[in-house]
Amino acid sequence: MDFVTMNILESTLVSICREMGIVLMKTSYSTIFNEALDFTCGLADMNGDLVAVADYCPAQIGGMPLLVRSCLQEIPTSELEEGDIVLHNDPYRGGLHTPEHTFFKPVFVDGELMGFAVAIGHLAEVGGMAPGGFCGEATEIFHEGLRIPPVKIKKRGEDNIEVWKLLLANVRTPRQNYGDLRALIAAVDLGEKQLLQVFRKYGKSKVRETTRDLLLYSERRMRAELETIPDGIYSFADFIESDGIEDRQHVIHVDVHKMGAEIVVDYTGSSEQAAGPINGTLGVATSAAYNAILHLTDPSIPRNSGCFRPIRVVAPPGTIVNVNFPAPEVGGNTDTHPRIVGAVMGALSKGVPNRVMAAEGATHGNFVFGGTDAETGEYFACYDIEVVGWGGRSFADGNDAVDSINGNCRIIPIEVFETRFPWRIEELELTTDSGGPGMHRGGLGYQKTLLCLNEQITCSQMTDRHLLAPWGLNGGGEGGKGATLVQKSGSTAWQTMIEAYGKRSTSRYSNVSIRKGDRVRMRTPGGGGFGDPKARPPGLVAEDIREGYVSEEAARKLYGYRGELK
Amino acid sequence: MKFSRNGLYIENYTKCTNCGVLIYEAYSKNHVYHEGKIYCSQWCVDWKIKRELRTQQARRET
Repeated sequence: MDFVTMNILESTLVSICREMGIVLMKTSYSTIFNEALDFTCGLADMNGDLVAVADYCPAQIGGMPLLVRSCLQEIPTSELEEGDIVLHNDPYRGGLHTPEHTFFKPVFVDGELMGFAVAIGHLAEVGGMAPGGFCGEATEIFHEGLRIPPVKIKKRGEDNIEVWKLLLANVRTPRQNYGDLRALIAAVDLGEKQLLQVFRKYGKSKVRETTRDLLLYSERRMRAELETIPDGIYSFADFIESDGIEDRQHVIHVDVHKMGAEIVVDYTGSSEQAAGPINGTLGVATSAAYNAILHLTDPSIPRNSGCFRPIRVVAPPGTIVNVNFPAPEVGGNTDTHPRIVGAVMGALSKGVPNRVMAAEGATHGNFVFGGTDAETGEYFACYDIEVVGWGGRSFADGNDAVDSINGNCRIIPIEVFETRFPWRIEELELTTDSGGPGMHRGGLGYQKTLLCLNEQITCSQMTDRHLLAPWGLNGGGEGGKGATLVQKSGSTAWQTMIEAYGKRSTSRYSNVSIRKGDRVRMRTPGGGGFGDPKARPPGLVAEDIREGYVSEEAARKLYGYRGELK
Repeated sequence: MKFSRNGLYIENYTKCTNCGVLIYEAYSKNHVYHEGKIYCSQWCVDWKIKRELRTQQARRET
């Protein structure tokens, strides 16, 4: 192995992936891409093994190998030609959830298939029964938007017009979607172009040998990391409070079998698949296990299919972690996914206690809305990510107001949000006392209040943690719960969605009609605390009080703070 | 995965009984049948037994 060339090549490939993401961000139309960055770009070899990926959305990083493999089983490499681009979003065929659209473009060198450029992005509008794709009351996949099996959206470099027409006829925002789909194509076009330059510089055999070595290197590094975790069976269970349809909890159960340099993540014992849209797909179950283990191991290990080889995932079909057709699934990748990550990390907290954080908020808020803009007459739709507190760690407090663990996305800046959509954000602030008490305090969630400026906006949401708080670790306390409230125009009362609109759930609802002058207030969960709060140095508690992170009352009650405040 | 005769739609999503991966029988070289059920590989047949043994042993040790 030529270690120097391997390092240079690995950095080059990762840079290409990052550049693909920048093109996607800069050329897309929707805020979910150009502000939130809800996408990932990668490069795969001719077998579909991931060789490099950019650090955008972790959910899609772990899902990419399965996605490419599934596509290649339906469109064999013998049927791929130069200039083809394959599109796919089917959650039952390796996808993560319906909004996630995967594009992959074969890269040919002298007529020989040498690899793939891959881009995955979450489209803000996909049709279905609710604007924005997140229908909290869906009971089957057909409510959740257009499902696309692997199809060629471009053939030999030419648009497949029939596919485009079908795609754009089935969404509420065809102009936006057209721009976003073009941005994803631009990303894989750039990936192909840059990868061809790498092949020209190093030659086919050198690149092939070096990427093979790179995958083996990552595998060896991951095996060495896993060796440091004591052998055993580590178990954990976490609960999702409701599926929006039935008023009952669903369990995510995980047994992590650590055996030498390998690990089996086994979800046997998890609840049967739910009636509502909280079911994870196989892609989710796989990606969540990878995501958790990447969080607990050396971050300098190159992310590729090699580092996933020592990890096996057992996700029994027909359960909440591996949904069967035709049950709904859109919230599986946004709410169940981070909960699975948390469950795997919770299990491993018994083996590597100092590497695991307490529970994070584990939801992206998923506030989606759509309507016709009174000024432009054009239909708008938006997927608005709400951010949460992360859990306290053995060495630090949790992060405040960041996207959940599988997203790594940004919130839309207020100025952009108010320019693009007919809302005014009246309030956006960290929620005092939402971080779980601990020697290392949980991160804070936030509270956001929106005033509706349009005659009418149709809103839906798919979130969690309104009833069950994020757990603490090693004696740390629970993080704060979330809430969504509505204040109707002319009223001073704040009501839940159950109270105001007769919905089944406060956290999962669809197609609520918000009128001009109505307000929506969302409070997101905070992270759990790590370690005994009484062991938190009084100086830090005093600082928390001064900064408004912790109230004086909570400081005295939960932290045993006895100091005077200046 | 069972496709329709014309190849245009899926009649049955075939998954491994144990680990849940999709099995495209036309391409899979490793899938096996055990007690009337399909598994993606012999590893998955063996894992069901091994898991039970490991769990019992862990219970005894605690």
